[in-house]
Amino acid sequence: MKDSNEARYRYTLTVRLSHWIWVVAFALLVSSGLQIFNAAPYLDASDASNPARRVLAIDSPQDGVGTTALFGHTFTTTGWLGWADDGMGEQGARAFPGWITIPSYQDLADGRRWHLFFAWVASLCWIAWIVSSALKGNLREMVLSRSDLPKLWPMQAYYLHLRKEPPPYGTYNPLQKAAYTSIGLVAAPLVVLTGLALSPGIDAVAHPLTVLFGGRQFARLWHFAGMLVLIAFFCVHVFQVATQGVVNQMRSMITGWYRGERA
Amino acid sequence: MKRKLFIVTSVSAALAGCAPIGTALNNSAAVRRVLAAAEGLTYTAIGNEHALAREYSESDIAPVFRVNGFATPNDAAYAKLIASRFASYRLVVDGAVDRPRTFTLAELNALPQSSQITRHDCVEGWSVIGKWSGVRLGSVLDSVAPRDDARYVVFRCMDRDDSGVPYYESLDLVQAWHPQALLATSLNDRPLDPDHGAPVRLRVPTQLGYKSAKWVKRIEIVGSFSRIAGGHGGYWEDQGYEWYAGI
Repeated sequence: MKDSNEARYRYTLTVRLSHWIWVVAFALLVSSGLQIFNAAPYLDASDASNPARRVLAIDSPQDGVGTTALFGHTFTTTGWLGWADDGMGEQGARAFPGWITIPSYQDLADGRRWHLFFAWVASLCWIAWIVSSALKGNLREMVLSRSDLPKLWPMQAYYLHLRKEPPPYGTYNPLQKAAYTSIGLVAAPLVVLTGLALSPGIDAVAHPLTVLFGGRQFARLWHFAGMLVLIAFFCVHVFQVATQGVVNQMRSMITGWYRGERA
Repeated sequence: MKRKLFIVTSVSAALAGCAPIGTALNNSAAVRRVLAAAEGLTYTAIGNEHALAREYSESDIAPVFRVNGFATPNDAAYAKLIASRFASYRLVVDGAVDRPRTFTLAELNALPQSSQITRHDCVEGWSVIGKWSGVRLGSVLDSVAPRDDARYVVFRCMDRDDSGVPYYESLDLVQAWHPQALLATSLNDRPLDPDHGAPVRLRVPTQLGYKSAKWVKRIEIVGSFSRIAGGHGGYWEDQGYEWYAGI
């Protein structure tokens, strides 16, 4: 797939704008979400907060000690989780440390303000992006189609150096399409829906949504798990950008112009 | 290689700088005003204020209903109420109404009773399911004939924070006449105990727990709550929490 080395216009303004708005919104949603989580630093696989069905618990059993219990296995996580930076220059009983939450000190009210504001920003941006992409036809280039399925393994084999040439593809390779489809069209909307499902007002307006996820506490569990999936995608995405021509990739997401061979 | 080092260094520096910048932004009045705009959008978007909270079955009731909020009042006045088994309790309902009045606990219990098995959702994230019985708030409010200038219903409570600031809450008229908005006098088929807000507490299952004020002593109907306490319509609202607690 050696194309010419000419610059190609690859990302529309809507795509670029929504991409960078999401970068800011995602960072703030994670840091305010962890702030909110800190108010009740545990996750229960039970609609009634049954502690016997606790999946995750971050705790400080005594001063100077932080622990994290995952599926009943307890780990000492002093300095990172449970007993950590309290956001005011000291160490204290804190689930997620102050350097990762907004604001840095414990404040559920402010965490909620950031979270609920940027939840709107990210969701409205997603709607603008999907409408614009669908109208311009870019969505078809991105979404995994049935014809891409047989190409998934050859593409993976190419990345693993088991194959010399990648299979033929369009703007995005089949693995990219799989990632964008599962994150952009499945995981991100699910994170928004699970967030809505754990609100009493939404539960009243749309019971089936909360029931679908197994109740409020399960919705909270899925909301947290969804965040981990999005963080994992973020890490892989940044790694790939950093290792595959970071300047060219960054330029294309800022100016829209991408130079050289397709990847 | 140098470029990679530069990128790694600048990304780490950016991350290290984020926490103080985020906290500084958090404390900017302009930023706080912008963030607060989401609340009105949420309340408008959820739209249906008449929707009913999900009701559960008897088997879903939690064995222990978790106690939260301020400590149970321990002043002499509340001790006297407990000693009288709440016979001396009076609920004052007044403000922008034509027929202000007081209710004894017996009078409240003599009104048509309503029950619900609903989930209490704390703003912290946990939930607990219980069975509440009492009088529909709307029927108590009907009996005092609110005037045309009534806009909000304010609940004055007997509990205070560590600095002595009293708890209070407020609902708008639609929320107050919601069929599940209850003046609860019983929890799980037993009279409300002091820790759960005896003798009368508010129960608003379509919003977060802080709206469900405990130890209610007075219901005041007002045109505006901007001159009450911090002016945000509730104790926690004055600390920065949303007045609309449906999300």
